[in-house]
Amino acid sequence: MEIRRVGRYAWRYAWAALAVGGVVMLLAWSYDAVQESQGSFIALLQNVVLAGITYYLLFFLVLLIVRFGMLILYSFMDHLESLYKERGKEKVFYREDSSLPMVSLIVPAYNEGPVIQAAMRSLLALDYPNYEIIVVDDGSTDDTYEKAMVVAGETTTLEVRVITKRNGGKADALNTGIALARGEFVLNMDGDTKLSPNTLRVCIRHFENSKVGAVAGNVKVLNRENILTRIQALEYVEGLAMARKAQSFGRVVNIIPGPLGMFRKSVLQQVGGYDRDTFAEDCDLTLKLLMRGWHIEYEPTAIAWVETPSSLLDLLQQRYRWTRGILQATNKHSRALWQPRKAGINCYILWYMLFEGVMWPFSNLLGNLFFAFVGLQYGLATLLFYWWMQLTLLDVVAAAYCVVIEEEEPALIFYAIMFRIFYINIIDVSKVFATIDEWRGQAMTWGKLEREGKL
Amino acid sequence: MDLISVLATVILITTIGTMVVGVGAYAAFKLRDKRKPGSNRSDETMDVGGPLEPVFLTRYVPGSAAEQQPDPEPEPVPDER
Repeated sequence: MEIRRVGRYAWRYAWAALAVGGVVMLLAWSYDAVQESQGSFIALLQNVVLAGITYYLLFFLVLLIVRFGMLILYSFMDHLESLYKERGKEKVFYREDSSLPMVSLIVPAYNEGPVIQAAMRSLLALDYPNYEIIVVDDGSTDDTYEKAMVVAGETTTLEVRVITKRNGGKADALNTGIALARGEFVLNMDGDTKLSPNTLRVCIRHFENSKVGAVAGNVKVLNRENILTRIQALEYVEGLAMARKAQSFGRVVNIIPGPLGMFRKSVLQQVGGYDRDTFAEDCDLTLKLLMRGWHIEYEPTAIAWVETPSSLLDLLQQRYRWTRGILQATNKHSRALWQPRKAGINCYILWYMLFEGVMWPFSNLLGNLFFAFVGLQYGLATLLFYWWMQLTLLDVVAAAYCVVIEEEEPALIFYAIMFRIFYINIIDVSKVFATIDEWRGQAMTWGKLEREGKL
Repeated sequence: MDLISVLATVILITTIGTMVVGVGAYAAFKLRDKRKPGSNRSDETMDVGGPLEPVFLTRYVPGSAAEQQPDPEPEPVPDER
């Protein structure tokens, strides 16, 4: 095991050495030309590096435009498809209440004392005739269990089970809940999440198609109380919901969000439930389902309201974990990266995740550093302005489109500018450091966020 | 100084400023993570009973049956041609 680990690091450092060696070779190869023109080595280095970065950033910009274009196109196609289905709803999706299958709602909770009761009460009000609630207290050190028991006693019509176990992490709590579930379908959520009343009815429709193994819900920000949380509200709509909607057109949603995902229980059993070896168990499970050929769809009208971090450090902590978790999950399934014929569309999904998780933050930071350097060194600050303007334009167009499609607050479009000016630079720094830490294999902890009880 | 130059200067200052804030905030978050009392806190029974496995999701095979029965060979696929 140790030898394998050392081998893996040796492989990584060998790649890094190869890249550095390649640049040195390129410089050495060009050195004669500089000597002929009696230029300095520093000038050559600067020219080569600046030219290289310029071409790279142009390439990245093209990728970004293609990315935005594809997401808007496919999400619009998915929107049209759902409207088309809606028209034939009565013929295709009509079901008697008595024939609706049982759904087990699993709520893993670790120190969710301030929010667990609000979350559970939203579940008691769901519009569905046949469901049960299982709250799994994962060895909380606060009063989560006692508070959950109080709400469980408030209903006599629904079956609510609250169980407590020794602390083993979120994946373990979810696996315990899945094992105890009696429903044919399982809805996994977070302990700090409120669900919209129609959630079960709209999600269960997707399972009419026997190829669909899971349905991802739409996560929205509840605590829109300051600039940071409002920008996150836009980010959830533009960055997450639009991507899921586009991916849903191909039935290949790449992350079923932790706050709301519905699964066939048989599918969860087939893939062995959640693994505990990544910090993004939802992403890892989704990839396992996709690799087994299951279709995953997205339901925009099933809404999970969540409390997002309202302070900068909490937000960075969350993004740090997300970035490393997604990289860990991608790494687990990395074989598919190099097998486009065998893995099919999953290969492209993994490359897309690497683009979003690694290439985008690195390129954004590189672009800012490059244009800042050019601005300060050569007085060409206008280049940075045009670079910023192009990215902001893409964000504003995508935000406007998402606000219309998702029927969101129009004021969110304004936050697209704030997003580009302040927010994303700070987040990208954290993502780049997270990627470097993951590459170096640094140890990390889950980093549980303190709840503020805004549900 | 025209409008574009003014905006360019504002964006330049903001970009450099936010990157500095980003590095500072990241350092602060890592520092807080290290110093936080009980950041790795969990209940005292965590290590009781060895490592956790999702036992409910793995197929149960009785011990004696598992020892006696070798792994089943895959069925040969009939040639349909």
